[in-house]
Amino acid sequence: MEFLNPSALFGLLALPLLLLPYLIRRKPRRLVFSSLLLFMDAGETASRRPWGRIHLPWIFFLQLLMLTLLILALSEPMFSVRPTHIAIVLDNSASMQALEGGKTRFALAQAKANALLDEVGAAGTVDLYATTPRLEKIRAASLTPAEAKGAIMSMEPFDLADPPADYDNLLNQLAREHKYERISLISDHPARGQTAAIRVVQVGQTQANFAITQFDIQRSSLVNAGSEATIEVTSFSDRDEKLKVRLKSGATDLATRDLVVSAGKSASLTFQGFADHSFYAAEIDVRDGLPLDNRRYAVAPATRGLRVLAITPRPRALESLRAIPGIMIEIVSPNDYEKSSRTGFGLEIFHFAAPASLPQNNSLFILPPESNSLVDLGNPVNDVNVTNWRDPHTLTRYVNFNLFRPSYARPLKPQSTGEIVIESSKGPLAFSVERQGFRYLTLGFDPFPYLGRDNLPMSIFTLNLLDWLFESQGERGRATGTPIPLGKVGAGDRIITPPGQKIAVRPGANYFAGAFFQGIYQLQHDGESQRFARNLQDRSESDLRAPAPIELRSRAGVNNETSALFALWPYLLIVSVILLMLEWFINPRMRSYSFWRLAKPLPQRS
Amino acid sequence: MLPAPFTPHFLTQLETLRLRTRKEFLGSHTGSYSSPRRGTSLEFADYRRYAPGDDLRYLDWGIYARTDRLYVKVYREEVDLFAYVFIDASASMAFPSREQKFLPASHVALALSYVILANHDHVKLHLLQDRSSASPFYRGRRRMADCVNFATGANVGGALDLATSLSDHLQRLRRPGKAILISDFLMPAAAYQKGLNLLRAFNLDIAAIQVLTRQEVDPDFPAGSLALIDSESQREIRYQWNGTARRDYQTRLAHHNLELKSFCHQSGIHYSLYVNDRDLSDFIFATLPAIGLFK
Repeated sequence: MEFLNPSALFGLLALPLLLLPYLIRRKPRRLVFSSLLLFMDAGETASRRPWGRIHLPWIFFLQLLMLTLLILALSEPMFSVRPTHIAIVLDNSASMQALEGGKTRFALAQAKANALLDEVGAAGTVDLYATTPRLEKIRAASLTPAEAKGAIMSMEPFDLADPPADYDNLLNQLAREHKYERISLISDHPARGQTAAIRVVQVGQTQANFAITQFDIQRSSLVNAGSEATIEVTSFSDRDEKLKVRLKSGATDLATRDLVVSAGKSASLTFQGFADHSFYAAEIDVRDGLPLDNRRYAVAPATRGLRVLAITPRPRALESLRAIPGIMIEIVSPNDYEKSSRTGFGLEIFHFAAPASLPQNNSLFILPPESNSLVDLGNPVNDVNVTNWRDPHTLTRYVNFNLFRPSYARPLKPQSTGEIVIESSKGPLAFSVERQGFRYLTLGFDPFPYLGRDNLPMSIFTLNLLDWLFESQGERGRATGTPIPLGKVGAGDRIITPPGQKIAVRPGANYFAGAFFQGIYQLQHDGESQRFARNLQDRSESDLRAPAPIELRSRAGVNNETSALFALWPYLLIVSVILLMLEWFINPRMRSYSFWRLAKPLPQRS
Repeated sequence: MLPAPFTPHFLTQLETLRLRTRKEFLGSHTGSYSSPRRGTSLEFADYRRYAPGDDLRYLDWGIYARTDRLYVKVYREEVDLFAYVFIDASASMAFPSREQKFLPASHVALALSYVILANHDHVKLHLLQDRSSASPFYRGRRRMADCVNFATGANVGGALDLATSLSDHLQRLRRPGKAILISDFLMPAAAYQKGLNLLRAFNLDIAAIQVLTRQEVDPDFPAGSLALIDSESQREIRYQWNGTARRDYQTRLAHHNLELKSFCHQSGIHYSLYVNDRDLSDFIFATLPAIGLFK
């Protein structure tokens, strides 16, 4: 027998409360009597038992039985019949790596899955599904229970967050399409409103956890060769904790500091002056629920300078950027952009040009044509007066906007969500967008050519924008599951995954989509190696205290005819209602009898 | 103003009764009870040798004729009776109310007092409670009103230690006589035995009348858990009242009364039980004569 709503069984703990009305009702009635001499042996002194001897009438036991049946009915007991065609959906998200008494939640889920498979007849068939990166079948063909056990044991959780999915729809759809008698989703998320055919088996308890929620390595500035690491640690716990934070590269410890994190808050620290390495790891020393998020990875900025790819029909204006130290610029015409190799550049400047889609790189758009997806341009304006600007902001620092007067501008009409940095009386002039970790800046005026001291406000603004775009250059740690851009793939190119698996890159592929594990991925291309960091970046996965429940709704007509469960609760409900009516019928008569007996006059005796 | 049961007819009936004593006492005046002293009554007691100075009217001339010796006839002296009526006035006598228990008890006491007063004997009422109080001796039926005032005006309350309370009263008692103890006797056997033995030690002819209410004989508590409080000691016990408990109680009460009756029988004490719902005249004229309290 199973219970669809086992939490209702906690109601059984409340059954002793039924005694209360009887204790209150049976609170002794105080009566004065001439002498207690003849009661002494049989009675109990008040001091010995404060409540006296509890005398429970049989109606109490009737009510107890009725309540027990009612609670059992609420817990929706089901007789299960051996199913022959079931589906097991295993949650293989990152939070399933949380430890529960030395075992991971995923190991517990595997054990639960095996237990479910034991209920399936030997001739039954099983389909296995995993939830990440999306809900899909593990094997195309249906498996026997023995094969399914083997397949389950070979599965492992990914370092991925739960995909946003409506499990109610998805599982009902599966049940409809494949005629499953039962679908069991084994997850660390609780479920609300389970149905006879779709069951959620929860594994794991709420736990405290600490996670590195941000880890960035960046150059201090365009002209400063030193790097600095910023690490943010978040507490998903109810207690303050002093943690040891380590900055590492491989097995080498680069720096260590203590960090106090308040309960439920985040705290960050910065490391500076450490040795240059190609990639870094940040670690916190703590015993918590999920070890996975106690470590994060980042790749150092590719170069000390800034390699710029300029796409412009007017190359002379951009040639002036070569005057800025640390800037290495390569200029292509808009027509050659798609054919050019775009790897290794920290910034792409589209000067009177725009790509077909947003590039996977930091980009500056100067007076882009109408075809761009970020902004529309207004009518041309001469002698623009800047009326408003964001302050403080890297782009606007040290700029004297009283002297900042572009001779030609076209006000911007933003078409996507972003931030207006500089605004004129005619409309926005600078509009910034951050998307997927890349920064995009669109200007409604042309700051080039770079004139140095001859146009100080504009030169300072130009340096600011290069700094701002430089801040985020390099391969920063991105979320697991984010594809790795491959650029132009040659024969023999391959990806080395964090577990050390070498995967040949398919020619013509733009991305490697299998970055499901946290760590450093290496792209080997033409004898060069480029590193990419992928980290678990989902706070909800790290927060093991209150996982979001999976909402399930019972739907009429969904697989009812093939359900392997036989509902028992309606019968329990009917019996409890009959008992209620019996109690309602009998109890008033008991009371009236009692009243009659007490009201009876004393017989006269001679 | 006499209480309700004391109608003229009832009083007339009471006047026909006379207390019976099983002992001889020294009275103060001539009366109708025999005394151990020799006197001038009509009841012959003995012969003794004539001594000079004896009244020649009492010489038995027949004996002189046969034996040639002078003997005088000696007669018993008949004296009046001193009666002591002890009424339990402790708190237990006010259960369920003073009117339902103490007043019936005092009516019994008054009826017996009237019998004594109507015979020109002496009666003294004693209230048994934690502080002793007693009336003066009354004699003659005109003092009945004083008896009524004393008995019905008593305040009922307090705890009673029978032996201690009786001891207080007996210390001031000078003449032996008839003692009538009216109480519910709802006390341990040792307590009432000690008290009754004390009365016996004072050479009193004792009658014990146990007064109970119908509620005490057959309690009508509501079924369920009860907190019973002792009216005297205020002690509280929890009791589960039901049919079985009721039967248990009645068995215990019957055993208690039987033990009291047995002790009285062994000690030469008249014993009778009066339940308050019983007719007083029936009790006085049927039950008390049956136990030998009246001649």
